Amino acid sequence: MMTGLAIGLVLGVTVWWVLIQRLKDKPWERQGVIEGSQDGLTSSAPKVGLWVFMAMVASLFLIFNGAYLMRMGFGHGELVGWVPLDEPGILWLNTFVLVAASGAMQTATGAARKGDLGALRTWFTAGGVLSVVFLAGQLLAWQQLAATGRYGVSDPAYSFFILLTAIHGLHLVGGLVVLGRTAAQVWRGLDTENVVAAGTIRQTVRLCTTYWHFLLLVWLGLFTQLSIT
Amino acid sequence: MAYVAIADRDHHLHDPDTFITKYIWSQDHKVIAIQYGVVAIGVGLIALALSLLMRLQIGFPDVFSFMTPYNYYQYVTTHGMIMVIYLLTALFLGGFGNYLIPLMCGARDMVFPYMNMLSFWVYLLSVIVLITSFFVPGGATGAGWTLYPPQAILDGTPGADWGIVLMLVSLAIFIVAFTMGGLNYVTTVLQARCRGMTLMRMPLSVWGIFVATILGLLAFPALFVAAIMMTLDRMIGTSFFMPALLALGETTDTTGGSPILFQHLFWFFGHPEVYIVALPAFGIVSDLLSTHARKNIFGYRMMIWAIVAIGALSFVVWAHHMYVSGMNPYFGFFFATTTLIIAVPTAIKVYNWVLTLWRGDIHLNLPMLWATGFIFTFIHGGLTGLFLGNVTVDLPLSDTYFVIGHFHMVMGVSPVMVLFGAIYHWFPKITGRMPNDVLGKIHFWMTFLGTYAIYLPMHYLGILGMPRRYYDYGQTDFIPDSALGVNQGITIAAIVVATAQLIFLINVALSLWKGKRADSNPWRATTLEWQTPDTPPKHGNWGPKLPEVHRWAYDYSVPGDEADFIPQNHPIKPGEESLRVAGASRK
Repeated sequence: MMTGLAIGLVLGVTVWWVLIQRLKDKPWERQGVIEGSQDGLTSSAPKVGLWVFMAMVASLFLIFNGAYLMRMGFGHGELVGWVPLDEPGILWLNTFVLVAASGAMQTATGAARKGDLGALRTWFTAGGVLSVVFLAGQLLAWQQLAATGRYGVSDPAYSFFILLTAIHGLHLVGGLVVLGRTAAQVWRGLDTENVVAAGTIRQTVRLCTTYWHFLLLVWLGLFTQLSIT
Repeated sequence: MAYVAIADRDHHLHDPDTFITKYIWSQDHKVIAIQYGVVAIGVGLIALALSLLMRLQIGFPDVFSFMTPYNYYQYVTTHGMIMVIYLLTALFLGGFGNYLIPLMCGARDMVFPYMNMLSFWVYLLSVIVLITSFFVPGGATGAGWTLYPPQAILDGTPGADWGIVLMLVSLAIFIVAFTMGGLNYVTTVLQARCRGMTLMRMPLSVWGIFVATILGLLAFPALFVAAIMMTLDRMIGTSFFMPALLALGETTDTTGGSPILFQHLFWFFGHPEVYIVALPAFGIVSDLLSTHARKNIFGYRMMIWAIVAIGALSFVVWAHHMYVSGMNPYFGFFFATTTLIIAVPTAIKVYNWVLTLWRGDIHLNLPMLWATGFIFTFIHGGLTGLFLGNVTVDLPLSDTYFVIGHFHMVMGVSPVMVLFGAIYHWFPKITGRMPNDVLGKIHFWMTFLGTYAIYLPMHYLGILGMPRRYYDYGQTDFIPDSALGVNQGITIAAIVVATAQLIFLINVALSLWKGKRADSNPWRATTLEWQTPDTPPKHGNWGPKLPEVHRWAYDYSVPGDEADFIPQNHPIKPGEESLRVAGASRK
């Protein structure tokens, strides 16, 4: 609780400071077109859209996190039937696979920047395949937990485990849809005649990579929390 | 890297050519705005009808045999949920957000038009799911609009079989729709403004909608989380919210769940939701007052600060809805303090609105009437909020009609006042026709006075101790017989106000059919949407060239200028600087 408040305070002060920089303009005193101001639709719009979306997803997982802690009873778990879960070891392997997926995506972005089509194809596809492996690993983890037969549906730690991994997995699936479509374009080739389309593909590859890093971060936070509670 | 060349290309990426792509599967923000508006108003009329049915029961108990307790609770629940989410949120953000953001920022469309289109259709789906819940076995849920577990999902509550699940699913779908729209609104404001349109030159309408959307994107996930977890509790028997309990004489399988956790989640969304509705209203009303008082908005910069501050504070006040929930009493002190702090930026806004009117050249036309009406209703609703924000005063008033009076005044009537003002204000731009003035004024006075006749007596009933949510009051000693008389009066006033809304519909139909043709800028306003080459604006909004902004949005009655307004896209005139300085020193 106190940590949350402290983080909130630091965030608040930061936002406040940034806003002061932006909001101290006196528009009624300044006429004319302001040089250096934005000029119609910018090319970074998809990037900004993605960051706004990630802020929303972060909010979703933070709120889940809050609900998780409250349901745990803030250390009074015995009163509310909270029994720590025995997480299957395969989660470590899955984590490693997701880290590898993120790394592959990063390499793909580098290849796209350099215009190395072969490397882009390889690493971008590898990122997708590794992510599917991660998802399969998560399903396996579910199966292993269910196979122990120790957990009923009303067990809160168990249902939170399934729910949180499912929500995280669904976000990855959403990313995979975009990745699949982009991969199809990449395999068709970065057509040098159509510069705009090639630029768009490069941008999408970059945005996919950002999203993958984000989901990796979310998973690392999630995994830590699930493991220690 | 700016590629205005692409934005200005002749062949726009999604030029509509058939009737279907133009008006149904449209990606044009203006058509989507109208689609949102029509569906939201349609579903709002259903909620209005439901409120009348409730009022008939409270005013005249035992007269209408079709009003059973079962139906009553269904109507209460659906009325509240529709009004707050499917009408107000959808109309302000999906409707006005969609229409105004690109036009006021000087953009051709939203940044992601396809997603914008999906947003509307997913919203429509959520409405259909919600309405379907009336026709499934057991009917719609009667859990109250707050859907508190455990009762919301226990047998004995209306709609505990299917209604509650459909309600939760519908909310989740709505949130998906909102996300797709919201990403568009935020990104368009940040990334698609025309040349010269800095953030600090945007009209306050856009600021209000912008910050409200950010609030929505951060707060709706809480409702989403709550909806998912409660659906699982209901469908497969998890115990997120369900404690071990005895229901209808039998113990349930659930253990240890936390009903208060649901309340925290619900209100962590629920309170920002108040401002998701209020901030666009604040922004829009600022523009209406400034335009129709022919005066620049008082304290433009402070207005933005206030919007941002209210938005930030709205995340740390949620538990003032939960003083009687049994949470840690120290929380009450914290949340009462933050609640009173949020009154400061809100009061700044109210003072600035009044000071904008001060010595203005007030044109009491339709938009202005509604805007001034809003100042009245918002002050009254806001003041009763100070009562309820304090723990000791809230405890006896909690769950009485005082609360109903308060929140209807502050977040029901007030935003609706702005909505009507905004509809009358932008009607000429949206349709190319002027609304009928006489019908509009009858509509205003019946609604304005009528809502006072409804909600002022409710405060009195609440102080008497009349509890809310009751189907019938029966033999209660502490409620005098006169309360029934008051309730009858309220019901009659409610019927009158509902009738007035028919006048509005007639006005819209009549004006569309043979209203006076509007020129492109009938209110002589400064903001960009009034400077489009066509009225209503065509696809792409601006013709061949994007506008260029040279000044802020409030150059009304500039000293020394013969017209009493200078549009944002008008370049500086020779000598204008010195005139301004002279005008300033004269003051």
